[in-house]
Amino acid sequence: MFNKEDRNNNKEAETIIGPSVKVSGEFNGNGNIIVEGIFDGNLKTSGNLYVGDKAKIKANIEAKEARIGGEITGNIKVDGHLEISSSAKILGDIICSNISIAKGAILNGNCSMKHIEAVAK
Amino acid sequence: MHVYIYDYFLSQRKHDSLLAKIETRITDLGLNGKVVRLGQIKNIKETVQNEIRRGAKTIIAVGDDELVSQILDGVANTSTPLGIIPINTGKNAITTALGINSSEQACDILSARRIEKIDLGTINASFFISTLTIPNEGTILQVNQEYSMETTAAGESMVINLPITKNGFPGNFLFSPQDGNLELFVKTKKQKKFSLHPKEVAQSVLSVDNLTILNTKHHPALVDGVRKINTPIDVSINKNALNIIVGKDRLF
Repeated sequence: MFNKEDRNNNKEAETIIGPSVKVSGEFNGNGNIIVEGIFDGNLKTSGNLYVGDKAKIKANIEAKEARIGGEITGNIKVDGHLEISSSAKILGDIICSNISIAKGAILNGNCSMKHIEAVAK
Repeated sequence: MHVYIYDYFLSQRKHDSLLAKIETRITDLGLNGKVVRLGQIKNIKETVQNEIRRGAKTIIAVGDDELVSQILDGVANTSTPLGIIPINTGKNAITTALGINSSEQACDILSARRIEKIDLGTINASFFISTLTIPNEGTILQVNQEYSMETTAAGESMVINLPITKNGFPGNFLFSPQDGNLELFVKTKKQKKFSLHPKEVAQSVLSVDNLTILNTKHHPALVDGVRKINTPIDVSINKNALNIIVGKDRLF
Protein backbone atom coordinates (compact mmCIF):
# COMPACT_ATOMS: atom_id res chain seq x y z
CA MET A 1 0.00 0.00 0.00
CA PHE A 2 1.13 3.60 -0.39
CA ASN A 3 2.99 4.95 2.57
CA LYS A 4 3.00 8.70 3.05
CA GLU A 5 6.47 9.30 1.66
CA ASP A 6 5.89 7.19 -1.43
CA ARG A 7 2.58 8.88 -2.08
CA ASN A 8 4.18 12.29 -1.94
CA ASN A 9 6.87 11.20 -4.38
CA ASN A 10 4.41 9.16 -6.50
CA LYS A 11 6.99 6.41 -6.40
CA GLU A 12 4.66 3.45 -6.51
CA ALA A 13 1.92 4.81 -8.77
CA GLU A 14 1.53 3.84 -12.40
CA THR A 15 -1.31 6.29 -12.96
CA ILE A 16 -1.89 9.70 -11.44
CA ILE A 17 -5.06 11.69 -12.02
CA GLY A 18 -4.11 15.08 -10.64
CA PRO A 19 -6.22 17.96 -9.31
CA SER A 20 -8.01 20.03 -12.01
CA VAL A 21 -8.32 16.92 -14.15
CA LYS A 22 -11.67 15.31 -14.88
CA VAL A 23 -11.83 11.76 -16.20
CA SER A 24 -15.09 10.24 -17.47
CA GLY A 25 -15.63 6.65 -18.55
CA GLU A 26 -14.32 3.17 -17.89
CA PHE A 27 -10.84 3.04 -16.43
CA ASN A 28 -9.21 -0.37 -16.12
CA GLY A 29 -5.68 -0.34 -14.72
CA ASN A 30 -3.11 -2.90 -13.67
CA GLY A 31 -0.92 -0.83 -11.39
CA ASN A 32 -1.39 1.52 -8.48
CA ILE A 33 -3.57 4.57 -9.08
CA ILE A 34 -3.65 7.94 -7.38
CA VAL A 35 -6.79 10.07 -7.86
CA GLU A 36 -6.62 13.70 -6.75
CA GLY A 37 -9.10 15.08 -9.27
CA ILE A 38 -12.60 14.24 -10.50
CA PHE A 39 -13.62 10.83 -11.81
CA ASP A 40 -17.00 9.79 -13.28
CA GLY A 41 -17.68 6.26 -14.49
CA ASN A 42 -16.14 2.98 -13.36
CA LEU A 43 -12.70 2.58 -11.87
CA LYS A 44 -11.04 -0.81 -11.64
CA THR A 45 -7.45 -1.79 -10.92
CA SER A 46 -5.62 -4.93 -9.86
CA GLY A 47 -3.28 -2.65 -7.91
CA ASN A 48 -3.83 -0.27 -5.03
CA LEU A 49 -5.90 2.89 -5.10
CA TYR A 50 -5.26 6.14 -3.26
CA VAL A 51 -8.02 8.76 -3.33
CA GLY A 52 -6.83 12.19 -2.19
CA ASP A 53 -8.68 14.44 0.26
CA LYS A 54 -10.00 16.74 -2.46
CA ALA A 55 -10.89 14.08 -5.01
CA LYS A 56 -14.49 13.63 -6.11
CA ILE A 57 -15.48 10.28 -7.54
CA LYS A 58 -18.83 9.13 -8.91
CA ALA A 59 -18.03 5.56 -9.77
CA ASN A 60 -18.07 1.98 -8.71
CA ILE A 61 -14.57 1.11 -7.58
CA GLU A 62 -12.65 -2.15 -7.52
CA ALA A 63 -9.09 -2.39 -6.24
CA LYS A 64 -6.68 -4.66 -4.38
CA GLU A 65 -6.32 -2.27 -1.46
CA ALA A 66 -7.47 1.32 -1.07
CA ARG A 67 -7.03 4.42 1.02
CA ILE A 68 -9.90 6.89 0.67
CA GLY A 69 -9.68 10.55 1.61
CA GLY A 70 -12.17 12.29 -0.70
CA GLU A 71 -15.80 12.05 -1.76
CA ILE A 72 -17.06 8.86 -3.36
CA THR A 73 -20.56 8.20 -4.64
CA GLY A 74 -20.66 4.55 -5.66
CA ASN A 75 -19.88 1.08 -4.41
CA ILE A 76 -16.39 0.09 -3.31
CA LYS A 77 -15.04 -3.44 -3.58
CA VAL A 78 -11.57 -4.03 -2.19
CA ASP A 79 -9.84 -7.40 -1.96
CA GLY A 80 -7.69 -6.51 1.02
CA HIS A 81 -7.52 -3.59 3.41
CA LEU A 82 -9.66 -0.48 3.03
CA GLU A 83 -8.55 2.60 4.93
CA ILE A 84 -11.03 5.44 5.22
CA SER A 85 -9.50 8.66 6.50
CA SER A 86 -11.23 11.44 8.44
CA SER A 87 -11.83 13.62 5.36
CA ALA A 88 -13.64 10.85 3.45
CA LYS A 89 -17.31 11.01 2.50
CA ILE A 90 -18.65 7.78 1.05
CA LEU A 91 -22.18 7.23 -0.26
CA GLY A 92 -22.35 3.60 -1.31
CA ASP A 93 -21.83 0.02 -0.24
CA ILE A 94 -18.48 -1.41 0.74
CA ILE A 95 -17.08 -4.91 0.44
CA CYS A 96 -13.57 -5.54 1.77
CA SER A 97 -11.54 -8.01 3.84
CA ASN A 98 -10.65 -5.60 6.61
CA ILE A 99 -11.30 -1.96 7.25
CA SER A 100 -10.23 1.01 9.32
CA ILE A 101 -12.34 4.14 9.58
CA ALA A 102 -10.95 7.35 11.06
CA LYS A 103 -12.97 9.61 13.32
CA GLY A 104 -14.86 12.20 11.27
CA ALA A 105 -15.32 10.06 8.16
CA ILE A 106 -18.82 9.88 6.71
CA LEU A 107 -20.12 6.53 5.48
CA ASN A 108 -23.67 5.99 4.24
CA GLY A 109 -24.12 2.46 2.94
CA ASN A 110 -23.78 -1.20 3.78
CA CYS A 111 -20.44 -2.62 4.77
CA SER A 112 -19.71 -6.33 4.27
CA MET A 113 -16.55 -8.15 5.17
CA LYS A 114 -15.39 -10.68 2.60
CA HIS A 115 -14.21 -13.47 4.88
CA ILE A 116 -17.48 -13.31 6.89
CA GLU A 117 -19.41 -13.80 3.64
CA ALA A 118 -17.25 -16.83 2.83
CA VAL A 119 -17.84 -18.36 6.31
CA ALA A 120 -21.59 -17.81 5.97
CA LYS A 121 -21.60 -19.73 2.69
CA MET B 1 25.98 2.55 -48.87
CA HIS B 2 25.43 5.37 -46.39
CA VAL B 3 23.07 8.09 -47.61
CA TYR B 4 23.43 11.53 -46.06
CA ILE B 5 20.29 13.70 -46.24
CA TYR B 6 21.36 17.35 -45.95
CA ASP B 7 18.69 19.72 -44.65
CA TYR B 8 17.81 22.54 -47.05
CA PHE B 9 19.26 25.28 -44.80
CA LEU B 10 22.74 23.74 -45.18
CA SER B 11 22.98 25.29 -48.64
CA GLN B 12 23.69 28.59 -46.86
CA ARG B 13 27.38 29.49 -47.08
CA LYS B 14 27.76 29.98 -43.33
CA HIS B 15 27.57 26.21 -42.90
CA ASP B 16 30.30 25.40 -45.45
CA SER B 17 33.19 25.12 -43.00
CA LEU B 18 31.22 22.93 -40.59
CA LEU B 19 30.14 20.65 -43.43
CA ALA B 20 33.74 20.42 -44.64
CA LYS B 21 34.82 19.34 -41.14
CA ILE B 22 32.07 16.75 -40.94
CA GLU B 23 32.87 15.38 -44.39
CA THR B 24 36.57 15.11 -43.55
CA ARG B 25 35.78 13.22 -40.34
CA ILE B 26 33.36 10.93 -42.17
CA THR B 27 36.03 10.15 -44.77
CA ASP B 28 38.61 9.47 -42.04
CA LEU B 29 36.23 6.99 -40.44
CA GLY B 30 35.53 5.31 -43.78
CA LEU B 31 31.84 6.22 -43.62
CA ASN B 32 31.53 8.23 -46.78
CA GLY B 33 28.53 7.74 -49.02
CA LYS B 34 25.98 9.51 -51.13
CA VAL B 35 24.86 13.06 -50.31
CA VAL B 36 21.28 14.14 -51.04
CA ARG B 37 20.67 17.87 -50.64
CA LEU B 38 17.06 18.72 -49.91
CA GLY B 39 15.40 21.65 -51.56
CA GLN B 40 12.73 23.50 -49.63
CA ILE B 41 9.95 21.74 -51.49
CA LYS B 42 11.45 18.30 -51.92
CA ASN B 43 9.31 15.41 -50.65
CA ILE B 44 11.50 13.98 -47.89
CA LYS B 45 9.50 10.78 -47.42
CA GLU B 46 9.70 9.89 -51.10
CA THR B 47 13.39 10.78 -51.29
CA VAL B 48 14.26 8.54 -48.33
CA GLN B 49 12.11 5.65 -49.55
CA ASN B 50 13.78 5.82 -52.97
CA GLU B 51 17.24 5.66 -51.39
CA ILE B 52 16.24 2.68 -49.23
CA ARG B 53 14.87 0.94 -52.34
CA ARG B 54 18.23 1.52 -54.03
CA GLY B 55 19.95 -0.29 -51.16
CA ALA B 56 20.94 2.38 -48.62
CA LYS B 57 22.66 0.73 -45.63
CA THR B 58 22.06 3.72 -43.37
CA ILE B 59 20.04 6.91 -43.75
CA ILE B 60 21.77 9.79 -42.00
CA ALA B 61 19.91 13.00 -41.28
CA VAL B 62 22.25 15.99 -41.32
CA GLY B 63 20.26 18.84 -39.79
CA ASP B 64 18.14 19.67 -36.77
CA ASP B 65 15.06 18.14 -35.08
CA GLU B 66 12.80 19.36 -37.87
CA LEU B 67 14.58 17.16 -40.39
CA VAL B 68 14.71 14.20 -37.98
CA SER B 69 10.97 14.46 -37.38
CA GLN B 70 10.18 14.69 -41.09
CA ILE B 71 12.49 11.87 -42.12
CA LEU B 72 10.67 9.36 -39.87
CA ASP B 73 7.89 8.87 -42.41
CA GLY B 74 10.41 7.51 -44.91
CA VAL B 75 12.51 5.32 -42.64
CA ALA B 76 9.90 3.94 -40.17
CA ASN B 77 9.07 0.25 -40.38
CA THR B 78 12.11 -0.55 -42.53
CA SER B 79 15.24 -2.41 -41.45
CA THR B 80 17.44 0.53 -42.47
CA PRO B 81 18.80 2.36 -39.43
CA LEU B 82 18.58 6.11 -39.02
CA GLY B 83 21.68 8.02 -37.97
CA ILE B 84 21.81 11.70 -37.11
CA ILE B 85 24.46 14.38 -37.44
CA PRO B 86 23.01 17.38 -35.59
CA ILE B 87 23.58 20.88 -36.86
CA ASN B 88 23.17 23.30 -33.99
CA THR B 89 20.17 25.53 -34.69
CA GLY B 90 18.76 25.58 -31.16
CA LYS B 91 16.33 22.84 -32.17
CA ASN B 92 18.36 19.77 -31.22
CA ALA B 93 16.56 18.37 -28.18
CA ILE B 94 15.74 15.03 -29.81
CA THR B 95 19.33 14.40 -30.82
CA THR B 96 20.52 15.27 -27.31
CA ALA B 97 17.98 12.81 -25.84
CA LEU B 98 19.47 10.16 -28.14
CA GLY B 99 22.90 10.83 -26.63
CA ILE B 100 24.28 12.80 -29.57
CA ASN B 101 25.58 16.17 -28.39
CA SER B 102 27.58 17.55 -31.31
CA SER B 103 28.27 16.96 -34.97
CA GLU B 104 31.85 15.84 -34.19
CA GLN B 105 30.62 13.30 -31.63
CA ALA B 106 27.90 12.18 -34.06
CA CYS B 107 30.51 10.96 -36.57
CA ASP B 108 32.10 8.73 -33.91
CA ILE B 109 28.64 7.49 -32.86
CA LEU B 110 27.90 6.60 -36.48
CA SER B 111 31.16 4.68 -36.59
CA ALA B 112 30.35 2.80 -33.35
CA ARG B 113 26.93 1.96 -34.87
CA ARG B 114 25.07 1.21 -31.63
CA ILE B 115 21.58 0.47 -32.95
CA GLU B 116 18.48 0.48 -30.75
CA LYS B 117 14.99 -0.51 -31.84
CA ILE B 118 12.47 2.02 -30.57
CA ASP B 119 8.74 2.69 -30.72
CA LEU B 120 7.33 5.60 -32.67
CA GLY B 121 4.11 7.48 -32.09
CA THR B 122 1.75 7.78 -35.03
CA ILE B 123 -0.35 10.86 -35.64
CA ASN B 124 -3.01 10.46 -38.28
CA ALA B 125 -0.86 9.08 -41.15
CA SER B 126 2.49 10.39 -39.92
CA PHE B 127 5.06 9.56 -37.20
CA PHE B 128 6.64 11.30 -34.24
CA ILE B 129 9.62 10.23 -32.20
CA SER B 130 9.54 12.42 -29.12
CA THR B 131 6.52 14.38 -27.90
CA LEU B 132 3.24 15.88 -28.96
CA THR B 133 2.19 18.90 -26.91
CA ILE B 134 -1.06 20.88 -26.78
CA PRO B 135 -2.36 23.57 -24.40
CA ASN B 136 -4.93 22.33 -21.85
CA GLU B 137 -7.37 25.08 -22.79
CA GLY B 138 -10.19 23.49 -24.80
CA THR B 139 -8.43 20.13 -25.02
CA ILE B 140 -10.37 16.88 -24.70
CA LEU B 141 -8.42 13.63 -24.69
CA GLN B 142 -10.30 10.46 -25.54
CA VAL B 143 -8.12 7.61 -24.33
CA ASN B 144 -8.20 4.01 -25.61
CA GLN B 145 -11.88 4.58 -26.56
CA GLU B 146 -12.65 3.95 -22.89
CA TYR B 147 -12.55 7.26 -21.10
CA SER B 148 -12.11 10.96 -21.75
CA MET B 149 -10.04 13.49 -19.91
CA GLU B 150 -10.41 17.24 -19.55
CA THR B 151 -8.44 19.75 -17.56
CA THR B 152 -9.91 22.88 -16.06
CA ALA B 153 -6.59 24.57 -15.26
CA ALA B 154 -4.13 26.20 -17.64
CA GLY B 155 -1.04 24.27 -18.67
CA GLU B 156 -0.27 21.67 -21.28
CA SER B 157 -0.91 18.06 -22.14
CA MET B 158 1.93 16.04 -23.56
CA VAL B 159 2.03 12.63 -25.23
CA ILE B 160 5.51 11.25 -24.67
CA ASN B 161 7.39 8.56 -26.53
CA LEU B 162 11.01 9.70 -26.11
CA PRO B 163 11.32 12.26 -23.31
CA ILE B 164 13.71 15.10 -24.10
CA THR B 165 14.58 15.53 -20.44
CA LYS B 166 14.66 13.40 -17.30
CA ASN B 167 13.53 16.28 -15.12
CA GLY B 168 10.07 17.71 -14.50
CA PHE B 169 8.24 14.42 -14.19
CA PRO B 170 6.69 13.21 -10.95
CA GLY B 171 8.49 10.71 -8.73
CA ASN B 172 10.32 7.89 -10.34
CA PHE B 173 8.41 7.78 -13.59
CA LEU B 174 10.73 6.54 -16.31
CA PHE B 175 9.47 7.14 -19.81
CA SER B 176 11.14 5.09 -22.50
CA PRO B 177 10.60 4.69 -26.26
CA GLN B 178 11.14 0.97 -25.70
CA ASP B 179 8.33 0.31 -23.20
CA GLY B 180 5.60 -0.36 -25.76
CA ASN B 181 3.46 2.50 -24.43
CA LEU B 182 2.93 6.18 -24.89
CA GLU B 183 2.65 8.24 -21.73
CA LEU B 184 0.12 10.99 -21.33
CA PHE B 185 1.50 13.71 -19.06
CA VAL B 186 -0.76 16.59 -18.07
CA LYS B 187 0.80 19.58 -16.36
CA THR B 188 -1.41 22.28 -14.87
CA LYS B 189 -0.43 25.74 -13.76
CA LYS B 190 -2.07 28.21 -11.44
CA GLN B 191 -1.80 31.96 -11.92
CA LYS B 192 -1.13 33.60 -8.59
CA LYS B 193 -2.67 37.01 -7.94
CA PHE B 194 -0.18 39.85 -8.48
CA SER B 195 2.36 37.48 -10.04
CA LEU B 196 3.37 37.31 -13.68
CA HIS B 197 4.73 33.81 -13.33
CA PRO B 198 2.24 30.96 -13.11
CA LYS B 199 3.14 28.25 -10.63
CA GLU B 200 3.09 24.59 -11.62
CA VAL B 201 0.69 22.90 -9.28
CA ALA B 202 -0.22 19.46 -10.44
CA GLN B 203 0.66 16.67 -12.76
CA SER B 204 -1.19 13.67 -14.11
CA VAL B 205 0.41 10.65 -15.74
CA LEU B 206 -1.25 7.79 -17.59
CA SER B 207 -0.05 5.06 -19.94
CA VAL B 208 -1.99 4.95 -23.20
CA ASP B 209 -2.04 2.87 -26.39
CA ASN B 210 -4.12 5.20 -28.46
CA LEU B 211 -6.01 8.42 -28.02
CA THR B 212 -7.84 11.09 -29.93
CA ILE B 213 -7.04 14.72 -29.21
CA LEU B 214 -9.70 17.35 -29.78
CA ASN B 215 -9.47 21.05 -29.10
CA THR B 216 -12.58 23.21 -28.98
CA LYS B 217 -10.47 26.41 -29.07
CA HIS B 218 -8.67 25.35 -32.26
CA HIS B 219 -5.23 25.32 -30.63
CA PRO B 220 -2.80 23.27 -32.75
CA ALA B 221 -0.53 20.59 -31.30
CA LEU B 222 3.25 20.84 -31.51
CA VAL B 223 4.87 17.65 -32.82
CA ASP B 224 8.45 16.83 -31.76
CA GLY B 225 8.80 20.46 -30.71
CA VAL B 226 9.08 21.59 -34.33
CA ARG B 227 5.91 21.26 -36.41
CA LYS B 228 2.30 22.18 -35.75
CA ILE B 229 -0.78 20.16 -36.66
CA ASN B 230 -4.45 20.88 -36.13
CA THR B 231 -6.91 18.74 -34.19
CA PRO B 232 -8.59 16.25 -34.29
CA ILE B 233 -5.51 14.05 -34.01
CA ASP B 234 -5.55 10.27 -33.72
CA VAL B 235 -2.49 9.16 -31.79
CA SER B 236 -1.29 5.59 -31.37
CA ILE B 237 1.90 3.65 -30.89
CA ASN B 238 3.86 1.77 -33.52
CA LYS B 239 6.03 -0.64 -31.54
CA ASN B 240 9.64 -1.28 -32.59
CA ALA B 241 9.11 0.85 -35.68
CA LEU B 242 12.55 2.43 -35.95
CA ASN B 243 16.16 1.28 -35.87
CA ILE B 244 18.18 4.24 -34.70
CA ILE B 245 21.87 4.81 -34.05
CA VAL B 246 22.31 6.23 -30.55
CA GLY B 247 25.04 7.46 -28.25
CA LYS B 248 25.82 5.97 -24.86
CA ASP B 249 24.51 9.10 -23.07
CA ARG B 250 20.96 8.58 -24.33
CA LEU B 251 18.07 9.18 -21.91
CA PHE B 252 16.64 5.62 -22.08
